[in-house]
Amino acid sequence: MNATVARLTARSLLAGRRAVLLTALPVVLLVLAVVARALGADDDLAVTLLGGFALATLVPLLGLIAGTGSIGPEIDDGSIVYLLSKPLSRDTIVVTKLLVAVAVVTVFGALPTLVAGVVLTGELGALALGYALAAAVAGAAYCALFVLLAVLTRNAVVIGLVYALVWETVVGQFVPGAQALSVQQWSLALAGPVLGDTGRELGVTAAVGGSVGVALLLAVALAATFVAGRRLRTIRLTSDL
Amino acid sequence: MSVLELAQVSRWFGNVVAVNDVTMTIGPGVTGLLGPNGAGKSTLINLMGGFLAPSAGTVTLDGEPVWRNEQVYRRIGLVPEREAMYDGVSGWDFVLANARLHQLPDPEAAARRALDVVEMTAAADRGVATYSKGMKQRVKMATALVHDPPVLLLDEPFNGMDPRQRLQLVELLRTMGEAGRTVLFSSHILEEVEVLASSIQVVVAGRHAASGSFHAIRQLMTERPHQYTVRSGDDRALAAAVMAQGSVSSVELAVPEGAATGARDGTTALRVQATDRSGFVRALPRLASDHGIRLYEVTPADESLESVFAYLVER
Amino acid sequence: MRVSAPSERLAVPAPSGQRDAIHDIGYRHYDGPRLGRRAVQRALLLDSARGAYGLGRAGRTKIVPVLLLAAMCLPAVIVSIVASVIGAAQLPLNYTAYSTTLATLVVVFVATQAPASVSRDLRFRVVSLYFSRPMQRVDYVQAKFAGLALAVLAFLAAPQLLLLAGALLAEMPLREQLPDLARALAGAVVLSLVLAGVGLVLAAATPRRGLGVAAIITVLVVLSGVQAAVLGISLERGADTAAGWSGLLQPFTLVDGAATLLGAEATLPPGPPGTAGALVFAAVALALVAACYVLLVLRYRKVSVS
Repeated sequence: MNATVARLTARSLLAGRRAVLLTALPVVLLVLAVVARALGADDDLAVTLLGGFALATLVPLLGLIAGTGSIGPEIDDGSIVYLLSKPLSRDTIVVTKLLVAVAVVTVFGALPTLVAGVVLTGELGALALGYALAAAVAGAAYCALFVLLAVLTRNAVVIGLVYALVWETVVGQFVPGAQALSVQQWSLALAGPVLGDTGRELGVTAAVGGSVGVALLLAVALAATFVAGRRLRTIRLTSDL
Repeated sequence: MSVLELAQVSRWFGNVVAVNDVTMTIGPGVTGLLGPNGAGKSTLINLMGGFLAPSAGTVTLDGEPVWRNEQVYRRIGLVPEREAMYDGVSGWDFVLANARLHQLPDPEAAARRALDVVEMTAAADRGVATYSKGMKQRVKMATALVHDPPVLLLDEPFNGMDPRQRLQLVELLRTMGEAGRTVLFSSHILEEVEVLASSIQVVVAGRHAASGSFHAIRQLMTERPHQYTVRSGDDRALAAAVMAQGSVSSVELAVPEGAATGARDGTTALRVQATDRSGFVRALPRLASDHGIRLYEVTPADESLESVFAYLVER
Repeated sequence: MRVSAPSERLAVPAPSGQRDAIHDIGYRHYDGPRLGRRAVQRALLLDSARGAYGLGRAGRTKIVPVLLLAAMCLPAVIVSIVASVIGAAQLPLNYTAYSTTLATLVVVFVATQAPASVSRDLRFRVVSLYFSRPMQRVDYVQAKFAGLALAVLAFLAAPQLLLLAGALLAEMPLREQLPDLARALAGAVVLSLVLAGVGLVLAAATPRRGLGVAAIITVLVVLSGVQAAVLGISLERGADTAAGWSGLLQPFTLVDGAATLLGAEATLPPGPPGTAGALVFAAVALALVAACYVLLVLRYRKVSVS
């Protein structure tokens, strides 16, 4: 963790048009929650919004924008060289950038999910806490994956998108086995105990068991971070565009 | 005083050999890395800066390997070719951030000093996006100088600069070299290297073609025999007249296959080897006009930088 | 035989009395007819449409669009085979429903190809080269818009035509299939214009391709999420009219609703409330296309050419 790297990363993430996109997503969620509440929402609707929108759409997109945005543009335009030509370990650079991205996703994703949950259910209960927890861990795992993708390829956004949308939602719908390889399902499994009986009654179940989910989440996040650090150590800076 | 050493360094990308068995030592003073486009200059600088692993051989700075050794950047300042910096920061912020990344004890003082050296103090509060090309180059220099490194690597620093900016940079680099720093810059323009570098390293097609003092190498280049291809209205008569000149050592009449040997219609050509280039160049038009021979074409056969270096390699 | 003027490369002292001159060293200039604005525009249009599939570009730019197109067409092939094997009297899902079912693929195609079409021109300031030709800024916008719309239309229409082939192989009467297909194609034309417009407006806002991709995806996915939520809430509250109007919120339901004017059922229920509703849907769709066009023209009016 390096404070200067963190500050530079946060500044480029939160400046300009990227910030507009990052803010727009939670705002939409909160507006929907308030409108639904005003019209009289029940728990089923809360599950639809929190699970179907916040966890399935908002968090992967935020992870994609923050994860790839924390390092991808720098690699693209070559300005990463100012970080690489310093007496800093490359792992420190990757970990710092990842932590900034995770912080951004937590603030713009998990926190709004918690607030939306409270608004929708009217209490700081199992649904709000459970989905906020799932959003936080899923966001962190997505960030780790997408930071790795951004270090590996210039087409990180496109590939990440295909994974987050096509694989996790479309393929998951038709091929049940694909759900076992889904960050979303793992995080739901992790949040299972928090969601508790309320979740079970509303039919919120994960495709994998709780401990399996936790293990897979940890394994993926750690492996992705490790590989990204290794890869940054040997990254080739091309002078061409 | 620091010394960069490359020992039998090769680097290949798939089937392409970018740097081929290069051994060189870069010591204090300003060194120019000269070579035509695509000769492997950037690859060499990337190897020296620790951004590329050598496929074979070693790159060391004062005996320490450069590759995968982040601590080496305490002693290297790098000025990249590309212009991109962090968006939306001022020159001051950017240089200060670089000082902090170096974990200097007093980053503010270091940043102030570096900006002062490149004479950017006045414009330091402006955003880097508003800078001209020359100002960007100077801020990049400031980030490379902020930790006062003994070694400075610059990749094509003069590209796209106007003459005034060029002059400023030349001055700056010269001062750095005189202060005992090891300064290496790459260029494909002979004149740039000439005004600045006390010693040069020449690379051609990935190979180390020449090294040493600029003037000695320049001498070797100009004293070598020069080749010209000449086409005229009467090649044979011209050949006789040219051969009578002291500036010429050999003349060959090149006759295309199948053409009549007596052809006087321009299908033949003369290959002239001149020992005294300027003498020959002055004499040729006079000879042609004296003998009433029309010159169709006079081409130096080997004037390109590449062939100059190829000649050096062959010796 | 080559006879040329004495080469400039050797400094030949000019004989006295001869005036300074620029020698003709063989550069030829073009005196033939020039094709002008429309031809430039047509060329750019075609290049943009082909470029969306990586045609005429480097190999790796073909990967994503070709994979997406394959994924889009594969179910059509399967449906066709199944239909002919079991001898179905009707396709299990009609032409319009097909594209709405695979909407995610369409969205990903637009999100990846719209920025590919415009963001590099902005980032590397290539637009100034275009505008130094007889081409006007408006021409550029029209060509890019039409080019991308054409590419999206091909993306939508290809599986529909495959389905038709499958239906004919399963010996379903052409007479029954054609009206359905025609309606679906008409809907696809409108949908491709809407999607291309939205995609280009967002993509042209930033010179960074990755950010453009993320922006388009975000907007399209969030809109459909919002629409689904509003629909859900309305249905729960028993507000059927509001449920119908919710279709206005995202492109797919919008165009699907407008297409009911052509006499088909809405494939994305509940569809607009009544014929008047469908007319409103159609008007909104066209207004959206026009608005995107105007926004693009305004955007490119501001692009500096320096």
